[in-house]
Amino acid sequence: MDLRLTKTQNMFKRAAADFVKVEAPSHIVTEWFRNKATFLPDLYRKAANLGWLGMVVPERYGGASASFTDCAVVFEELGRVPLPGPLFSSGVLSALLVLEGASEAQKESLLPAICSGRSIVIVAITDKGVDWGTESVETRLTNTTGGFVLDGTKRFVYDAEGATSFICAARMENGGIALVLVNRESPGISITPHVGFMVSVAEVRFDRVKVAASSVLGEAGAGWQILDGALQKALPILCAYQVGACQEIFDFTAEYTRTRVVFGQPIGRFQRVQDHCVELSIHLDAARWVTYEALWKLDSGLPAAAGVHEAKAVASEAYYQVCNFSHMVHAGPGTDYGHPLMAHSLMAHTLYQYLGTPLHHKRKMMDALYPRGKG
Amino acid sequence: MDFSLSPDTPAIAAFRKEVQEWLQENMRGAEHLRWSGIWSTRENEEEYRFRRELARKLGEKGWLFPMFPVQYGGGGLTVDHQLVLETEIGRHGLNLNSVFYTLARLVAPAILKWGSEEQKREFLPPMLRGEVSVWQVLTEPQGGSDVATCRTKALRDGDHYVVNGQKIMVGYHHPPDFLWALVCTDPSGPRHENLSWLYIPGNSAGITIQPMHLMMGIKNSVFFDNVRVPAFNLVGGENNGWKVANTYLELEHGGGGNVTEDPLVVRLVRYCQRTQGDGKTLMEDQSIRDIIADTLIELDVVRLFALRNFWCRYVREPHPYGGVQYIYHQRVVRLRNAERLQRILGYDALVTDLSVHEQADFEYAVRSGPGWLHGGGTLDTDRLIFARRLGLGRPTGEAAPTTV
Repeated sequence: MDLRLTKTQNMFKRAAADFVKVEAPSHIVTEWFRNKATFLPDLYRKAANLGWLGMVVPERYGGASASFTDCAVVFEELGRVPLPGPLFSSGVLSALLVLEGASEAQKESLLPAICSGRSIVIVAITDKGVDWGTESVETRLTNTTGGFVLDGTKRFVYDAEGATSFICAARMENGGIALVLVNRESPGISITPHVGFMVSVAEVRFDRVKVAASSVLGEAGAGWQILDGALQKALPILCAYQVGACQEIFDFTAEYTRTRVVFGQPIGRFQRVQDHCVELSIHLDAARWVTYEALWKLDSGLPAAAGVHEAKAVASEAYYQVCNFSHMVHAGPGTDYGHPLMAHSLMAHTLYQYLGTPLHHKRKMMDALYPRGKG
Repeated sequence: MDFSLSPDTPAIAAFRKEVQEWLQENMRGAEHLRWSGIWSTRENEEEYRFRRELARKLGEKGWLFPMFPVQYGGGGLTVDHQLVLETEIGRHGLNLNSVFYTLARLVAPAILKWGSEEQKREFLPPMLRGEVSVWQVLTEPQGGSDVATCRTKALRDGDHYVVNGQKIMVGYHHPPDFLWALVCTDPSGPRHENLSWLYIPGNSAGITIQPMHLMMGIKNSVFFDNVRVPAFNLVGGENNGWKVANTYLELEHGGGGNVTEDPLVVRLVRYCQRTQGDGKTLMEDQSIRDIIADTLIELDVVRLFALRNFWCRYVREPHPYGGVQYIYHQRVVRLRNAERLQRILGYDALVTDLSVHEQADFEYAVRSGPGWLHGGGTLDTDRLIFARRLGLGRPTGEAAPTTV
């Protein structure tokens, strides 16, 4: 047993912390979120140069062969900002998706470009917004005399704005699900940002988009299994990002209880205010330890499915609740888009939905531990 | 990071095998016994005798306090050995903390830290070898969570202290061999500077013990009527008791952590797999699976907080709020789970089941929810300590007292 980070991990952590201090100071971040300018090509390039895209991808494909925990440590620091942009969605999730399911030729052409930041590959999975699962895949992939055609509308595609390509989940004529790689510039693709209380989410329409047969990732029909396999590894990294966010909120909320004086004393002396911070701290540490245990299981090759789903459920719920408790402490000023809490609140609401809600993942956790039909 | 509880070096693997074999041998004869909880009303004489004997045997080998120095009766072993012992005895439904009914696990570290060399040599070996039972007697009727208001007086008379007063909500079924008591040694002294710790022999004249039947089982009132205690038994210096209390209370408030698993979910799932409702097992019912998921996740978080504290303690990395976070959250979760059990099992959650260990009995778990909210201080005092340790409204957080 050893719950410390390794020397290397501490180095990664410092590098990431230094990076965000310089590149993403709080007053600039609030402007990004206020203006919904959450895809920042310059910042993305700089992060790519530091090697943070495809960290967990093997070196032979342009990655760093880092462990999941190594990568998580970096994303924890990025979550503190919260740094927007497709670092996770392309550099972790899509990279792992390709690694998990693509053919060798596809890996060789896609992964180095994802890792260098030249390509930004974004998954587009759900057509409906309500649920996350195979039943939400309606976009059709049909084999016509003129080749394959992709037709449908994906809603709530996270980080669509910066995409150079999409990996689109599509329903085949035989009912199976295929993952199809589509260039963003293909005729028939249109992207419309969703307007509302969320970050970087858009509707992506595929209007009779022609795709080559070679664009299907890996085995056609195995799309959902490939996605599940990739999520098993990617989700804890996203959780670490949420842990970092919770830690940052805890830090500035605790500081606020020291500096904000009303009724003649710092508000942290009021027991009602203390109660909010106590709950906040429990959510933060719950997310932290469940996440890092799942990462340890992944890195050690232990069965991790239940732990990974648990981590996504706990971390997304924690981020959401931590924002709420912080809102209770900050009251009015915390609802101003110029306050750091608002960037987090937007992000927390978005990530609560992204890649499946807490309820969805709790159910997946139960199914992993206690499969149905077995009593 | 490494969350593994089973380090697999050859030496540790060999030790595990030795412990497993030893337990197999020494647990023989306990097959029909069901362990009762620490304040149980269902404890019986046979179980009690078995557990005391087991503690003595473990103590003889230094396994009851694996990491304590050998010269005081400990095992002089490493944290890895301790993990082996904790997890292996856990498989038999017990844990090292409460092999039998004693709080030596909390009292011994306080004496190790604050006792004189002579006191350690005198008091620790019998405790570490599992030969004596120790109660903590802290709470008083007027004070409750505010232990510093302590009115039980111990006034010096030659080479003795004379103790008068009353403690409440303490101890277990069987009379203790020793009482570890916070007493007031300077009734006119300022708060926090007027207290001391006495290690009082249980058979001293003038002690009366009166059982109390409570929600969580049996505790007692203890009356001291001119009880004479040798001055040698005052640990940590006269009027220095609050500092000693801090070491002690940090451990009581979760600072020591824990590596044993709660048996509740396993038993709950087994029940739901076997019980039919609406033409299918409860385990096939989505709404019940959702309740179990919440139960399981919250207990898992409690487990991880306990694990973190265990690790922090043994690598001497002080965690300012870890202890109180764990103990507070554990109580809140126990309370929530009590209701969840009733939602799933209905009346069955309220029926005592003598065929399982009490810790895994639903009825005990339901009762423990509200019943165990306050041991060692109420939820609200927990939150106060929590807030101080987090440094809310203060320039810096209060440090955790150092333990051993």
